[in-house]
Amino acid sequence: MNVTRRTLFKIAAAGCAGVTCLPHAGAVMLNEPTEKLGLLYDATRCIGCKACVTACSEANGLVPDAGSSDGMYQAPESLNAHTKNIIKLYRASDGHEWSYMKQQCMHCLDPACVIACPLSALTKSDFGIVQWNGTTCLGCRCCQIACPFNIPKFEWSQINPRVVKCELCRDRLALGKEPACTAVCPRQAVIFGKRSDLLDAAHRRIASNPGKYYQDRVYGEKDGGGTQSLYLSHVPFSKLGLPDLGDRSVASGVRDVQESIYQNGLTPALVYTTLVAVTTHFWREHTRHAAEEAEDLGLEEQL
Amino acid sequence: MRVCWRRMLQVASPLLTKPFWFMTALAVLGLLLCVYREFAGLYSVTALNDGYSWGLFKNFNVTTLTALGSGGYAMALITYVFNRTRYHPLMRTALLTSILSYTVGMMALAVDIGRPWNLFFMADPWAWNPHSILWEVAFCMTAYVMIALDFENLAPLLERLEHDPFPALVRDVARYAKRFVKHAYPYGVALALALPTMHQSSLGSLMLLGARRVHPLWQTPLLPLLYVLMAFILGIAFVELVLMASCAVWRRPIDRFMLASLSNIVSWAALAWLAIRFADLVKRGQLDAVLRFDFYSFLFLAETLMIGVPALALRSKPLRHTPPKGFAMLGILTLGGMLYRYTPTTIAFRPGEGYHYFPSVAELLISIGFIALAMVGYLFTVKRFAILPATLDMAVLATNRSATKGQAA
Repeated sequence: MNVTRRTLFKIAAAGCAGVTCLPHAGAVMLNEPTEKLGLLYDATRCIGCKACVTACSEANGLVPDAGSSDGMYQAPESLNAHTKNIIKLYRASDGHEWSYMKQQCMHCLDPACVIACPLSALTKSDFGIVQWNGTTCLGCRCCQIACPFNIPKFEWSQINPRVVKCELCRDRLALGKEPACTAVCPRQAVIFGKRSDLLDAAHRRIASNPGKYYQDRVYGEKDGGGTQSLYLSHVPFSKLGLPDLGDRSVASGVRDVQESIYQNGLTPALVYTTLVAVTTHFWREHTRHAAEEAEDLGLEEQL
Repeated sequence: MRVCWRRMLQVASPLLTKPFWFMTALAVLGLLLCVYREFAGLYSVTALNDGYSWGLFKNFNVTTLTALGSGGYAMALITYVFNRTRYHPLMRTALLTSILSYTVGMMALAVDIGRPWNLFFMADPWAWNPHSILWEVAFCMTAYVMIALDFENLAPLLERLEHDPFPALVRDVARYAKRFVKHAYPYGVALALALPTMHQSSLGSLMLLGARRVHPLWQTPLLPLLYVLMAFILGIAFVELVLMASCAVWRRPIDRFMLASLSNIVSWAALAWLAIRFADLVKRGQLDAVLRFDFYSFLFLAETLMIGVPALALRSKPLRHTPPKGFAMLGILTLGGMLYRYTPTTIAFRPGEGYHYFPSVAELLISIGFIALAMVGYLFTVKRFAILPATLDMAVLATNRSATKGQAA
């Protein structure tokens, strides 16, 4: 095809229009792995269509959750070994207050699962994605004990079980595509981008809709030390299962306690040296005493 | 006449008794279920789920029962660091309870983890995450079981290798090995004190990871201190219980003074532990949660009473010197301490979202199987090696008898 100057302008204009209309569908700049990428979910926009749940399963090659009752397909009740992303409905007992909620990995800035993992199978890798590597995973499930959001799931029925959790569709990112859930969302209730851009967008929404959002704040901006999955909601975050964690990450609390005890290995070294000094000192006395006694009695010394 | 334990002597009753076979059967059943679990996955054997992903194996067989098996740690601290040489005849019993409870605990851990073949990476320093508390627990426990405890438990084995009618080479090697063990012993003891201090406290730190999901009555930055202190208390109390039970079963004389002086230590340590526990609750402003009379408040009160009442009762000297009463009090205290070690990991761990956990029958059988395996190991060892404490008279008598037998042969 012979591309003229005029058609080139047309294509460029169409491209620009496309980018402006669909900011969530913009190509991802992948040349800056230190840049934190994430999701922004706005509970006020979600219509609960669950397109993202299906798209996630499809993109991640997860078999549909057949449920437990009759083997027929059931919408999963919660995140599980077949479900990395889920939409839930919260409805207050009086029925007036309600909201949808999307659950997936929060991709914490300072994740508890990463500090918990004994062989670093879970790592904070490029773009801040919390990523699982089966090569070294012991299946110890310490990540499940540590995650304050109950996100990592375990394949309990497998002989070679994996830890299943959202990895922000890193395979799709590598191909220049955005995560499956944001790509299919018909209401842009969940959008994808750099964490800093998403925070700006969230604050713009709060500023232009005063009183609409709970506490006029973004969950995940500081909560639990900050997360890369961010939330806006009109109902209290705790109702959506987002725990009140304070601004400090679980990991930093644990690190503080451990580091204050261990002092980079200095404490164990000191403790051992002191113990050796004391035990060797008393040991001489101990063995002399035992030898004397053994000689007196004509019995052999017992260590 | 006052009984005074001075030596170690093997139990001279037959090994293959009914209780032995019963325990062996339980152990075999548990091990068979473990084999089944390896082929069928955890789901078909356990009641574990994504909310309660650690159950009996990790939280009971390891976290709770290795506290009972801390006798080797606690007794070595008293005997070799505080230089109370009179407790020396109890060391082998203490070390045996330790190596058995830790070994079966590590076995339970190997059954619990989902991808055991990756344990290989524990030997690869480049794969380690030294910031991980579980890594530290795994590393220190493995080093403790595979190096320190084996070393400490070598003496009774070497004694037999040296004196039994083995080939001359074996007996010579045993003699040299014994000499080496004797010279290196204080270094081994120091290692066997440093490692449990680290991993027993880290078992508590593990639950710091549970953060707000662990009920505030139990979640505190002092978890590591409370856990290691409780291991010290339970370690001594369990050695006493084992000794009293063994002496009753095999009709051996009991050194009441020695046990009473240990009970004295247990009682003071338990009271100190309670003082720290309450000081921490006051500092964190959680005292009102104690008297809220909800489930957790009752659980806390039960645990505190089970530790506090026996600790106070053991302040009475006559009671300490009466083995049956002392046994009962130490037993209750031990159960209270075990409850404390278990509670933050499971009962007071609240993942929410409707998750609940109660161990399955197979899980219970595996857990019991490991306990039975340890008991089989205990019965075998005390009847084949000089482990349990004895009086000088008994030792002299046994030596003379074996000498006569040797002459007759």
